[in-house]
Amino acid sequence: MNQNTDLLTLRGVSKSYGMVSVLHDVDLSIQDGEFLTVLGPSGSGKTTVLRLIGGLEPLTAGEIRLDGQDISRMPINRRPFNTVFQDYALFPHMTVSGNVGYGLSVRHVQRKEVARRVAEALELVQLGRFADRFPAQLSGGQRQRVALARALICQPRLILLDEPLAALDLELRRQMQEFLKSIQREIKTTFLFVTHDQEEAIGMADRICVMQAGHICQLGTPHELYYKPNCEFVARFFGENNLVAGKLGAVEGEQRPIETALGRLICSVSDQPLLKAAPDGASAFAVFRPEALRVAGSTESDNHFSGTIADLAFAGSSTVATITVGTDNAAQRLRLRVPSRIDGSALKCGETVSLSFAPHEGHLVLA
Amino acid sequence: MSLLAAVLAFALPVVFVVVPLALFLVYSFFSVDQGTIVYAPTLGNYVRFVTDSIFVPVFWNTIVLCVSVAIICILIAYPAAYLLTTLKGRWRYALLMLLLVPLLMSYVIKIYAIRSILGLNGFLNKALVALGILQQPSTLFVFNMNAILLTLSVLLIPFAILPIFLSLERIPQTLLRASDDLGASGLQTFLRVTLPLSLPGVVSAASFVFVLAIGDFLTPQMVGGVSGFTFGRILYSQFGTAYNWPFGAALSVALAVVVICAILIGERFGRNRGTSV
Amino acid sequence: MIALPRPSTLFLAAVTALVAVLLYSPLFVPIVSSFFTISHGDVDWSSPTLSSYQALAGNNDILAALRTTLIVGLCTVVLSVVSGTLLALYYHGGRSGRSILQFIIFLPFLMPPIISGLALLIFFREIGLERSLLTVVIGHTVFVLAIVYRTVLMRLQSMSRTLVEASYDLGATAWQTFWRVILPNLSSAMVGGAILAFALSFDETMITILVTGTQSTLPVRLWAMMRLGFSPDINALVALILMFTVLLCVLAARFLVPQQMAMERS
Repeated sequence: MNQNTDLLTLRGVSKSYGMVSVLHDVDLSIQDGEFLTVLGPSGSGKTTVLRLIGGLEPLTAGEIRLDGQDISRMPINRRPFNTVFQDYALFPHMTVSGNVGYGLSVRHVQRKEVARRVAEALELVQLGRFADRFPAQLSGGQRQRVALARALICQPRLILLDEPLAALDLELRRQMQEFLKSIQREIKTTFLFVTHDQEEAIGMADRICVMQAGHICQLGTPHELYYKPNCEFVARFFGENNLVAGKLGAVEGEQRPIETALGRLICSVSDQPLLKAAPDGASAFAVFRPEALRVAGSTESDNHFSGTIADLAFAGSSTVATITVGTDNAAQRLRLRVPSRIDGSALKCGETVSLSFAPHEGHLVLA
Repeated sequence: MSLLAAVLAFALPVVFVVVPLALFLVYSFFSVDQGTIVYAPTLGNYVRFVTDSIFVPVFWNTIVLCVSVAIICILIAYPAAYLLTTLKGRWRYALLMLLLVPLLMSYVIKIYAIRSILGLNGFLNKALVALGILQQPSTLFVFNMNAILLTLSVLLIPFAILPIFLSLERIPQTLLRASDDLGASGLQTFLRVTLPLSLPGVVSAASFVFVLAIGDFLTPQMVGGVSGFTFGRILYSQFGTAYNWPFGAALSVALAVVVICAILIGERFGRNRGTSV
Repeated sequence: MIALPRPSTLFLAAVTALVAVLLYSPLFVPIVSSFFTISHGDVDWSSPTLSSYQALAGNNDILAALRTTLIVGLCTVVLSVVSGTLLALYYHGGRSGRSILQFIIFLPFLMPPIISGLALLIFFREIGLERSLLTVVIGHTVFVLAIVYRTVLMRLQSMSRTLVEASYDLGATAWQTFWRVILPNLSSAMVGGAILAFALSFDETMITILVTGTQSTLPVRLWAMMRLGFSPDINALVALILMFTVLLCVLAARFLVPQQMAMERS
């Protein structure tokens, strides 16, 4: 993405309710036209970020800039942003077209023009036939699409979506994810999407901003977050990473060893100045994904150890083995993911296997 | 701006509720001399209320009467409310509506109609004579305390049904199933699960009925005759024939104290604890 | 509830039937009397007649009282709905002193009407306000305010806060939000509250007896006539009022059921 097309910047933004601080000194840039997902567990402050940008709540400190202009004190009804609320917040006393046209009619747009654009927006969300229904007569997915049409009809610079899919069942949620993504591509508007569901975030976002306890942990593409988490929280939050604690050794070019209970593991530190600069002996975790582990007969690789299969879980296309490495207090549980096979797994419970992973698939995060 | 809103919001309630009630309280400390009100504070009215041999006994009898009304209403309303909760869906609410609708009917008319039913030529006497229970029509049911008791009970039953019904309805079915499952008989389940859990509703109902009964002046006035003298009637007479407003105000304060106590008891013990879903 | 053994079911049914008889016989008496002549407690079933209804049409005294009642009722409804709604909005806005305010609003409803009425009587005397229909309307409004307030407040509290946020978010001003989102969502509760207020005002007797001037409302007129017994035309009036009240009940029930539920059912 081009850094010059920042649409919105948050600088030093904090929010507290009385004595309780929910957001501390957050910096964030949102680029024009991107699909940015704010991801975090409940209580991480992700919804607060969205409410501050939307103007639903005042900032405690910091500033929000739109195209370089400070809009921190601009009232909510003047900001060129629209929100899709978690409970949709459709007006129950208005029809679908009344709801969708509301943003235009309060701005005194001519009736004919409103009707034309409402029809257009409903066409976009494929709800043309439902214009005269009331919200109570629609299904959850349809309400969701009305809320979206209502938000985008004023052609906002930014659409804020507050966990809009949380109330839908799994199948519908999948469909809506694709639908939202395709709409976003079509209208080329910036989306800021808040969710606590990491799969949803990975599937939809151009970039993901991971939040925890009022801080931003990491901001990057789904690929970066998946393979190169920059902290223990992100490493644990995405999927079922293996984390092994240890002490860092001396840097060796683009790699750095870490002394762990599994022995000396060598991991990549390319593009990670922080980990290159960390002092020798610093506490850290070796991070590697279950699918990066190889079951090896020989010991050719650097990162090599053996363990006992404690459990096997068939999960469709892949099978996940839980492996115990080491004994007693030092015992470490790892996960190994291998493709499933029609003739049954080659692995057996209780079997001892020898495992390894390639240094470039290993990653380090500071403890 | 917000101060202005507060002033506007408080203006009407303060002027027409707080000021009159406060004035009323202040009046109870005044006295009357030869038909004119003496605006000098005195405890005389309260002393008279406590020491005079008429007022305290009437006050006490009225309280007993209204407690009796509450008990009668609950004894009759409880089975009806219980029956409602055994009904399904729309029948339950249709019957509930049926039992509550008479509330909205003219109070004066109902008193009049009940009086004519209770009277010497009324349907009650006719029925009792026809059944052979009475040899001849009796005046036992009209213009006395019995008449007040019966009339108030009939008028106030719906106020007892609603809170009891609501508390019964709130008891989770699973609790009753669990009790059955543990081997309790229908009666045991009722006595040891349903009844205790519905007691808060019973207390609210009692407090409700009591407050309405003790504050009522129209019913005793209309069906009480000479012997059915209640506190409300004494109180009213201070503003009419006796023309002693300050003393009437003091009597009202006594009434208000009892009413407030009853409301507080209803609030304190009428809350459902632990069973809220 | 689980099904009871049969004897207990019979007992419950018998008591419920008794309750129904107790509640409805007082209503039944005047209706029957309006169509048949009664002498010495015996109904003459042989000759139904509408003569009492004809007599009613000529009873100017009662008709004037009825008109007074309607005027008082309408004024009370307007005043109580406007102030009750504003007070509910004030409370819902989380403004200062709101719980005290709520307590004050409920006071006249919780206190026995004889106390509220006497307090107002003394108040009007002290401020030198002559007893008239105006004082009656004030008395009724103070009395029914709690009901309207409560009805509107409950609707406000069940309304999602995000509706208002969504309106602002879509560019509406505070004024537009009030007229186009808040008020339409309150309207059915306001109508329901208005019907309840009217029904209460229509039947209010105690406060009215104390604060009315020379003009009587219908319940007060009936109250005054009751010592002598009612003439047949009063029974006709009562029968009509009962039917009217049933109609009001049905309407109130309809408006108090939230719109959304009604729509889902359709």
